[in-house]
Amino acid sequence: MGTLNLESVSFRYPGRGETVLDKVSLAIPAGGIFGLLGPNGAGKTTLISILAGQLRGATGSISAGDEPLEGLRRRRPHSLGLVPQEYAFYPMLTCAENLRFFGAVQDLAGARLRERVAAAARFARIESALSRRAGRLSGGLKRRLNLAIGLLVEPEILLLDEPTAGVDPQARAFLLESIRSLAGAGRTILYTSHYMEEVEAICDRVAIIDHGRVLVSGALSEVTRDGSGLQELFMQLTHRSLRD
Amino acid sequence: MRRLLALWEKEWLALSRDVLGLAVLFLMPAAFIVVMSLALSDVFKGGAARLTGFAVMAADPKLAERLVRSLSGEGFRAAPAPADEAAARDGVRRGTPSLVLLVPRDFERALNAPLDGKNTPPKLTLLADPALPPTQLLAFRQRVLGVALALRVSAMMRRAGIAADADAFDLKHAATLNVETIGGTGRPSSVQQNAPAWLIFGMFFVVMPISSLFIVERREGTLARLVSLRVPFSMLLLGKVGPYFVVNLAQGALMLLAGRTLVPWFGGETLALPARWDLLAAVTACTSVAAIGWGLFVAVCSRTLEQATVIGGVGNILAAALGGIMVPRFVMPETMQKLSEVSPMAWALDGFHAVILRQGGAADIAAPCVKLLALALALFAAALWVHHRRRVLAPAQ
Repeated sequence: MGTLNLESVSFRYPGRGETVLDKVSLAIPAGGIFGLLGPNGAGKTTLISILAGQLRGATGSISAGDEPLEGLRRRRPHSLGLVPQEYAFYPMLTCAENLRFFGAVQDLAGARLRERVAAAARFARIESALSRRAGRLSGGLKRRLNLAIGLLVEPEILLLDEPTAGVDPQARAFLLESIRSLAGAGRTILYTSHYMEEVEAICDRVAIIDHGRVLVSGALSEVTRDGSGLQELFMQLTHRSLRD
Repeated sequence: MRRLLALWEKEWLALSRDVLGLAVLFLMPAAFIVVMSLALSDVFKGGAARLTGFAVMAADPKLAERLVRSLSGEGFRAAPAPADEAAARDGVRRGTPSLVLLVPRDFERALNAPLDGKNTPPKLTLLADPALPPTQLLAFRQRVLGVALALRVSAMMRRAGIAADADAFDLKHAATLNVETIGGTGRPSSVQQNAPAWLIFGMFFVVMPISSLFIVERREGTLARLVSLRVPFSMLLLGKVGPYFVVNLAQGALMLLAGRTLVPWFGGETLALPARWDLLAAVTACTSVAAIGWGLFVAVCSRTLEQATVIGGVGNILAAALGGIMVPRFVMPETMQKLSEVSPMAWALDGFHAVILRQGGAADIAAPCVKLLALALALFAAALWVHHRRRVLAPAQ
C-alpha cells in the first residue's frame, strides 16, 4: 500500500478559538510501527479520529501511497482498522457475539466470518472467553477483545490508540508482542501511548506532538542519538508542567 | 442488508438481556390498563354504576311515598327520611344520603292552584352533596321536575272533571325511547379508553432503552468505531427500528390480551375487539414508528443518560397528560381539547378509537396515521441533522 503521508494537516473545532492540529506533516511508512507521542490534549486522538473518518473538516492532504486516503477507503472500505482507547464493544454481548457483529458490519459472512472470528480470537488468545459476556471480562481480556475486533478484516492501515492502557504487565507484554508481529506484511501501524518504554520497545519511527504541532519526527535511533532516552527527550520538548 | 440484519440482531440481543427495561415496557402499561380501567369504570358509566342515595322530607306521608316511588331507579336509591331539616343538612354534609328533597307543607295546595299569574309555582328545595357529579345532580333535578309536572297535570285534569292518576303522566310512561349508538358503543367504556391509551404510553416508553443503549454506545466509543468502519449513521439509526418495531407489536398484542382477560378477571369490563384487524395493525405500526422516531431523536440529542431520562420521561408524561391518556379528552374543557391536538399520543388514540370504538374504515384512520408517519420522518431527519452538526463540531464521540 505504501507510505501514509500527512501534509500540512490542520484542524480546529468550529466555534472554538484554538487550533487543535497545526500543519501536521508526517510520513508513516508501511511495514513498521510508528509511535505518536504527546501529553494529554496534544492532538493525538484528534489526529487518529481524522484518519479514521470520525471527524471532518481538516485541511491539508492525507494520502496512502499514491492516492488520497479517502479515495482508498471508498475503493476498499475496510482497508483501515481502528483500535480505540475505549473498550469500544458491547458489554452485554459475549465476546463471540461482539466479534460476529463487528465482522458482519464489515461485510464478512458465512464461512469467511467464522474463519476470521476464529483467527482474530486465536491471535488475541481469547478463545476460552468467547462465550463470556464482554462486560464481565478482566481489563486485560477486554483490551485483547478490543484488539481482536480491530483485526477482523486484516486492515492494511491499523490505528492503535493507547491499546495497553490499564492492563497488568503480563497482558501488556502479550499485547506488545502481538502488535509487533502485526507490523510485517506491509501493514502500516500508527501507535499512540503514554508509556515511553513501550514505544522504545516496539516502534521504529516516532513523532512527538504538542499543542497540535510536530516537535520532532524521525527514526527512533535518530531522535535519541544524543544518548538521552525517549522519556528525557519527551520531557525536554513538552516541558514538565502538568497538563490536566 | 446484511449490515442492517447484524445491527438488528445486536440490538435484539442487547435488549433481551435488559430484563428491567423489558419489564418497564410490558408490565408497566399492563398494570396501568388494569388499575385505571377498574378505577375509572364509574366515571365512564356517567356515575350510573354507583347508586346515589336520596331522601324525601314531606309532611304528608302519602305524598312522600309517592315522590319516593317516582324518583327511585336509574341510579337513584331511596334512603330513610331524616328526622328534621337540621338532620337532613347534617346528613348531606356527610354524604349520607347525597340528596334530600324538602317538600313544603303547602306543596299540594300550590300544585292545585291554577297558573294564572296570581299564583307562584310551589317551591321545592333540594339539598345536595357537593361531591356529587354535576351530571348526577342534573339528572335528579330533571326527575324531580318531571314528577312535579305529572302531579300538576293530574291536578289540572281533576279540576276539569277528568279522573287521572299522576303516575300516568310520569315521563317514563310518555314514550319508549331507544337510544341507538352509531358505530360501536359511542363513548368509550373504561377499558376501551384505558387499554389503547396505556398501550400508546407504553409504546412511547421505548425512548428509554433506545436512548440508554445509544448513549452507552457513544460513551464507550462503539459508535465512533462503527462510524470509522464506514457504517452510515442513518443505517445505525435504522438498526434500532426493526427490533423496537417488533417490541411495539408485541406490546400491542399483550395489551389487547390484558384488556380481554386481566381486566374482566379483576371485575372490569371486557375490551371489545375491532372488526378490522388490518386497520388495528396499521395504527399500531404508525404509532410504533413515531415512538421509535422520538426515541432516536432523544438519544441523539442527549449527551448523558440523565438527560435522556429527563427529556424522554417528562416528554412522554406531558404528551400523555395533554393527549388524553391520563384524563380522557371528552372531560377536558374545550380549550384543552384543542390544545391536546398537538400531542402525538392524541393522534394515536384517535386512530385506536376509530378502529376499536367506532369500528371505522381506512378513511377514519388516515389522518392520524399520516400525522404519526410525518412526525416519525421529521424526528428521524432531525436526529440525522443533529448528529451531522455534532460530528463536525464535537471531538470524537
